[in-house]
Amino acid sequence: MDTFILIGITGIGLGALYFLVASGLSLIYGLMGVLNFAHGSFLTVGAFVGWWIAGKLGPDTSMIDFIIAMFVGGLAAGLFALLIEQLLITRLYDRHIDQALVTVGVSLVVGALLGGWFGNDLIMFPTPMWFLTAVNVGGAMIPADRIVYIATAIMLLIGNWILLKYTRIGLIIRAGVENRNMVNALGINVRRAFSTVFFLGGFAAGVGGVLVSVYSNGVSPLIAGSYLIYGFIVVVIGGMGSVPGSFLAAMMIGVIRQFANYYVTGLGDFVVVILLAGVLLIRPQGLLGKVRA
Amino acid sequence: MLRWKYSRPLLGLLLVVLAIAPLFTNNPLGKPGLQQTMAVAFVWGALALTYDLLFGFTGLLSFGHALYFATGVYVSCILINHDVVSWWLAALIAIAVSAILAFLVGAASLRTTGITFAMVTLAFGEAGHVIVNRNFFNLTGGENGIALNAENVPQIWIGVFNTKYIYWLALAALIFTYAVIWWVTESSAGKVFSALRDNEQRVQVLGLNTQHFKLLAFVISAALAAMLGFVMLIAAGSAAPRFAESGVTIALLLMVVIGGAVTRWGAVLGGIFYSFASTRMQDLTQQESFKSIPEWIGGPIAEPALLLGLIFILIVMFSPGGLSGAYYRLRLKAITRKSS
Amino acid sequence: MNALSVKDLHVKINESHILHGVTFEVPTNKVTALLGRNGVGKSTTLRTIMGFYEGTGSVELNGKEILGMQTHKIVQSGVAFVPEDREVFASLTVKENLSLAARGKNNDDAYKAVYDLFPELDTRAAQQAGSLSGGQQQMVAIARALLNKNEILLVDEPTKGLAPKLVTEVADVLAKVAQTTTMLLVEQNLALVKRVAQHVIVMDQGRVVYQGGPENLHDDAWVHQMLGVSGGHK
Repeated sequence: MDTFILIGITGIGLGALYFLVASGLSLIYGLMGVLNFAHGSFLTVGAFVGWWIAGKLGPDTSMIDFIIAMFVGGLAAGLFALLIEQLLITRLYDRHIDQALVTVGVSLVVGALLGGWFGNDLIMFPTPMWFLTAVNVGGAMIPADRIVYIATAIMLLIGNWILLKYTRIGLIIRAGVENRNMVNALGINVRRAFSTVFFLGGFAAGVGGVLVSVYSNGVSPLIAGSYLIYGFIVVVIGGMGSVPGSFLAAMMIGVIRQFANYYVTGLGDFVVVILLAGVLLIRPQGLLGKVRA
Repeated sequence: MLRWKYSRPLLGLLLVVLAIAPLFTNNPLGKPGLQQTMAVAFVWGALALTYDLLFGFTGLLSFGHALYFATGVYVSCILINHDVVSWWLAALIAIAVSAILAFLVGAASLRTTGITFAMVTLAFGEAGHVIVNRNFFNLTGGENGIALNAENVPQIWIGVFNTKYIYWLALAALIFTYAVIWWVTESSAGKVFSALRDNEQRVQVLGLNTQHFKLLAFVISAALAAMLGFVMLIAAGSAAPRFAESGVTIALLLMVVIGGAVTRWGAVLGGIFYSFASTRMQDLTQQESFKSIPEWIGGPIAEPALLLGLIFILIVMFSPGGLSGAYYRLRLKAITRKSS
Repeated sequence: MNALSVKDLHVKINESHILHGVTFEVPTNKVTALLGRNGVGKSTTLRTIMGFYEGTGSVELNGKEILGMQTHKIVQSGVAFVPEDREVFASLTVKENLSLAARGKNNDDAYKAVYDLFPELDTRAAQQAGSLSGGQQQMVAIARALLNKNEILLVDEPTKGLAPKLVTEVADVLAKVAQTTTMLLVEQNLALVKRVAQHVIVMDQGRVVYQGGPENLHDDAWVHQMLGVSGGHK
């Protein structure tokens, strides 16, 4: 039973990381129709900035230091995302394939820049000592860092919910995901919502990047790739444009992957990929997605 | 006429030069180093063309093309190494396996379109990558891949001094691929592919089963990719998981867009240019003069993805037709200027 | 000056030349009906005025050129749109659909007026718009167009697909709204048109073939010739 809980919670922890990447991807695609391949680079930017800040904050990283690093990393990633959106994406308005292609270009350039400056090997991320301890949950000893991921993901989910439900920009985003043209037809410049969504997506990915670096035992430009792919898988299974859908799908996939890997090493990736193909063929709009016209 | 009247004869001349040059040692192509680089570039050029059949001609954005290329590499390698059949039969079997795989995957995936199709193909492509990487059935050699057993392959392709035979094999494969794709796209089926890209509804209204045509393009492209996989196996001497990565398909996408998605020669040019530039840049970084550049500039420049990514972004933003598109635009300007 | 002045409007969509030099005037504070058989370009005309399509020519709102402007700016200039198929946001509540549309700061009067016209929208404020009936959705679509100060209301086939009883209700509402607003109304339902329209434009094959008063609507032969339908009903 302990093993079951352990695998389950570490799976949820992994799912939390996927959700941090996926939430931004989901809204960006849902609202703007942009398949953002640069999202992985937001993750990497956040990771490197967070790493740099954590290094500056002294040899011992306290919980506060770590939170500051996460926040600043997220902020940097968010600003970078905004820059990409203003410089490149807006100029390719309604050219969706070209927008997707340009984000591919960005991911290559950012990967090359960071790889060139810092190398592609893993660099240790300064982590609070507490992360290395284990917490007793229902008889199973859970590594403390998993708790941090889950807590962060839950906070993001709540923050997202508050934004979407209780603010005007959230209202515009929800309406825009459903019908972009009609929002314009109500006299609202829906493109301003684009910038917001890109920034927030970047921020979430940046925070995710810091946490991923802890999980992967180091910072490197090469890590983002697989998280981006998993991010897409989560978004597609959860439903494009639905943040709760991404949360659900992320948790499912994290848990399934961990369980599959427990029985046969390496089976996890394979199972998830087959799951994606299956969902796409049976229910293309995903769990909570809407059927787009 | 948009085509320059000298372009075809010049192209023919270029091909002859490329074919003959390795016979003489006094020119750059007489050296094994450049022969190897160009051989690999030819394979990538041809592979880019197979991808162009899907993306540029039929409008299918696939993110899992590497799967069929890797199938060609791995199936040939495994069959040859285990001495199951002779080398050429191994290649043919690899092509057949890839075609069947494409048929199955295509039949399933082509029920979706657009972005969903891209994701499904990505999924299948990743599945292939995972199989190869995790050494399932202990056949695929895991992360390190499998070295080709040189004894079971014609000795004409083994050894540094025989590099020119690999070069000729690759050049022949490129010409063959080009011929097949030219024939397919110029045929009546090919016209349907282009029509599909532009407006699928109109094709359906004509009573044509669009699924069948898309599947046809998919299978042809996969079969050719597998053949090129075999050629790459000979050129590289081993099967490796990097041939199955999504990065391969992304690279193909770059090649096709940089070269120009709608033209055949554009895709080939994009592939050759990309491959050549990557290899050359890696060589460049080894040289002394390079080491004197400050680290913060030199580091990133050493990564081929930087320059190629920047070129790619610029082309998507300002010249979506790629290099060949720009060429035809200049030709149009030249022609209209002449007539005015 | 007329509320809306369209001159020589040409519109091409995907290589099809849909509008061939459309020219007409929409007088202020009157209801102008835009009539014609299916496919002649009525909806395209409305949507071009809204900025959804590009075209050449001129579209002036109270003397100000709006052709070529971005949709949201056109709307902010005082053009409200009630689209064919209503296009309410199904995942938002009724209240959210309305508050999204309300642009100004002090909307209390506007809301009160709207709830007077459509008391059901007040009672159903928290209901998801997707679960409303067709008629109720039409009310939302019209209501949100009324929440701002408008120079002109563009209404596209508001009674399409509605049961006869609802058609009457919508007609009542439109008649009331028409008293105080300039409206350009695309409608197939001639009874409704006869009831509210003071000015009539007829289109055929992307061109305007008649512009004038509504008198001829009572002439069955004229109606049959212009619109290909019999006069009393549709």
